[in-house]
Amino acid sequence: MMTRVDSYPTHIYKEFKLRPGRPLPFGATIVPGGVNFSIYSSHAIDCELVLFRKHEPKAFARIPFMRDFKIGNVYTMVVFDLDYENLEYGYTMDGPFDPGRGHRFDGTRILMDPYAKATGGRDEWGKEPDWNNVYQHRARIAFDDFDWEGDHPLEIPFEDLIVYELHVRSFTCHESSQVKHKGTFAGIVEKIHYLKELGVNCIELMPIHAFDEFENSRLSPATGKRLMNYWGYSNLGFFAPKAGYAATGKFGMEIDELKNLVRELHRNGIEVLLDVVFNHTAEGNEQGPYISYRGIDNQTYYMLTPEGYYFNFSGCGNTLNCNNPIVRNMILDCLRYWASEYHIDGFRFDLASILGRDQNGAPMNNPPLLESLAFDPVLGKCKLIAEAWDAGGLYQVGSFPNWGRWAEWNGRFRDDVRRFVKGDAGLAKAIIQRVEGSPDLYHSQGRSTSSSINFITCHDGFTLMDLVSYNDKHNEANGEDNRDGSNDNCSWNCGCEGATDDPGIAFLRRKQMKNAVTILMVSQGIPMLLSGDELGNTQFGNNNAYCQDNEISWLDWTLLEANQELYNYFKNMIAFRHAHPVLRGKEHFRNVDYVASGYPDISWHGTRAWQADVSEHSRCVAYLLCGKHAKSGTCEDSTIYVAMNMHWEMHGFELPAPPPGENWHVFANTDLAPPCDIWGVGHEQPLVNEQQVLAGPRSVLVLVAK
Amino acid sequence: MQVSREIKNGVQVITLSGKLDGTTSPKAQEEILASLDTASQVVIDMSRCSYVSSAGLRVLLNLAKILARNSGQGVLAGLVAEVADVMKITGFGNVFPCYADVDTGIAALKRKK
Repeated sequence: MMTRVDSYPTHIYKEFKLRPGRPLPFGATIVPGGVNFSIYSSHAIDCELVLFRKHEPKAFARIPFMRDFKIGNVYTMVVFDLDYENLEYGYTMDGPFDPGRGHRFDGTRILMDPYAKATGGRDEWGKEPDWNNVYQHRARIAFDDFDWEGDHPLEIPFEDLIVYELHVRSFTCHESSQVKHKGTFAGIVEKIHYLKELGVNCIELMPIHAFDEFENSRLSPATGKRLMNYWGYSNLGFFAPKAGYAATGKFGMEIDELKNLVRELHRNGIEVLLDVVFNHTAEGNEQGPYISYRGIDNQTYYMLTPEGYYFNFSGCGNTLNCNNPIVRNMILDCLRYWASEYHIDGFRFDLASILGRDQNGAPMNNPPLLESLAFDPVLGKCKLIAEAWDAGGLYQVGSFPNWGRWAEWNGRFRDDVRRFVKGDAGLAKAIIQRVEGSPDLYHSQGRSTSSSINFITCHDGFTLMDLVSYNDKHNEANGEDNRDGSNDNCSWNCGCEGATDDPGIAFLRRKQMKNAVTILMVSQGIPMLLSGDELGNTQFGNNNAYCQDNEISWLDWTLLEANQELYNYFKNMIAFRHAHPVLRGKEHFRNVDYVASGYPDISWHGTRAWQADVSEHSRCVAYLLCGKHAKSGTCEDSTIYVAMNMHWEMHGFELPAPPPGENWHVFANTDLAPPCDIWGVGHEQPLVNEQQVLAGPRSVLVLVAK
Repeated sequence: MQVSREIKNGVQVITLSGKLDGTTSPKAQEEILASLDTASQVVIDMSRCSYVSSAGLRVLLNLAKILARNSGQGVLAGLVAEVADVMKITGFGNVFPCYADVDTGIAALKRKK
């Protein structure tokens, strides 16, 4: 093999052999004989590379970037003969300290590379750090040569996804999970069989980028337990995975462990979405620590007021300057890296509306960052999902800049379905929209049903069990006098606040949970489940468990046996959705019969067939999906009828006639006890009376014509 | 890290003793390849290898690829439990078939012949 002529050093500094580096790619890249370091700063006047051996508090070398090693605003050099597996590196940057002008340089600080692919300092979850160490979060060099064994992102059609949102630790940390490596990526691998049996084909991981669980760590005045930055919505770096989420993090192998998780999930037909937090960093406001960006180029990375203070659209102290061209490129580089290097199938953007604000914080019509992501070739098949609001008051559900590429967490679906299920009046019209995939929000813009991520619960707020068990939040354990967390939960405790032995209340709660998941699974759009809801998992009324690394957050797997009935219902309802393409249309309904089947694609009914009552007092709506219109008439499916009675009295629903030669069969009836609550795909039971069905108080019926 | 080679029952046995990490891996790989007939069968005795780092895993993966290219065959023998676990959860568990000790490794290779 030929030896490249640029694989020889050209410069010497002390005992180090060097040569001018390549500016791209940014970060630290393994090259023949050494490592190429590259970092940029528009306003620094000097830069130094600082090298540590792994875990050692004192640097073993400081190498200044010589004049030859700067191209434009990029400092770059190759350092030869480094034992890069045993290396941690940082930078010092000299420049003006002039906060009024946005500059906060401090040449004494050792700063993490914003492009660090791996980080040290928090290798094992919850292990007390050495607070005297001047370099807390330490850039490392990553092996990027994982053997994918032919793996490829799955590219499941968006409308066919069933998303399951989970937290890496919460999912398997509890003793009852019975996995070997609790609370880790490896632990999830051990539960893939469970995910498959449940039937979800996509998991959305709450933030797995490097973060510091000790950020703002404190003891709860209410419980005396340690509170942590448990959820991790506070990035140290955007390119490195959280080492403490890997069983092998202590060996620096978190990258391989995460890639193995992705590969194993893909092998089992399950996609992986990442919850990404580009709206702020862990550096906080003016009082916050120097970790990276603040000391490298504060004015570039953060949105600043004219006086040089941090804008706080995130509610977390600072706001990443997403539409600065340099930051925009970093975000693009980052997502391309996760998509190509980790085979990630898509991203959910936390407080995504911030990504559409300009450098002064004003919302833009065509935000360049969002447009770049929509049209990027590497991300071309990735799912892009916006949490379409921010903490600065911008609420863009239905209006997020999208270019036909962006989907949204549909907060309207959550609120309307919650209120409908708890029996509020005046929701019939809204429920029609939500079940149809929210055409009121999306159709007029030419956006498909897969613009709508439908959910009733997510990490923010009550679990499903708590939604039917508590009228009010109970966040005392968070140590903020129950002030934190949303007050607007649209929840109902079914007659008793919290746990109860009352069998009537327990039955009603189970029924309400079944009602909720049924409506979710028979609605157009993409359903998302919160991990544990299928087990009836409780957070004991805590609707904001961001700081609770304990039984409040951890899934209790003993519930699988205790709530077998609920789990079985979820599993069969998920299977029902997979079995029926008519539930998974991509195009919005036209409300007409365009395949000459004798039925419109969707028709709305009530207690009288063909007469929907959408008046203010109506709590009874029903609809019929014509199987011949499945997937815009391109495939044939069964005809399905759903009756939703959210009134506290029983109602009879007059049935529309099934297609000629077919009869109505019951698939699910949430008012009945097992096994009559749900029959399983292919085991639907014939109806005795084809003219009318009785829907019990607060119940949903699902019928199939066959 | 010590690399030693012997022939046992007509099969090459490479024994790795010590830690296979970033410091020792480049040299270990060089020594293994220098002493090995990669078109033949080999048992890699890991019973005295107490730690394998990311770099070390890649030595094993590279060896597997070279053997496959040259129509050789390799197995691992006597993996220390923690090393076996790390290999599994980082996705290197399928690189080589693993056996309890050198003799069962040799027997398995003989059956393949």
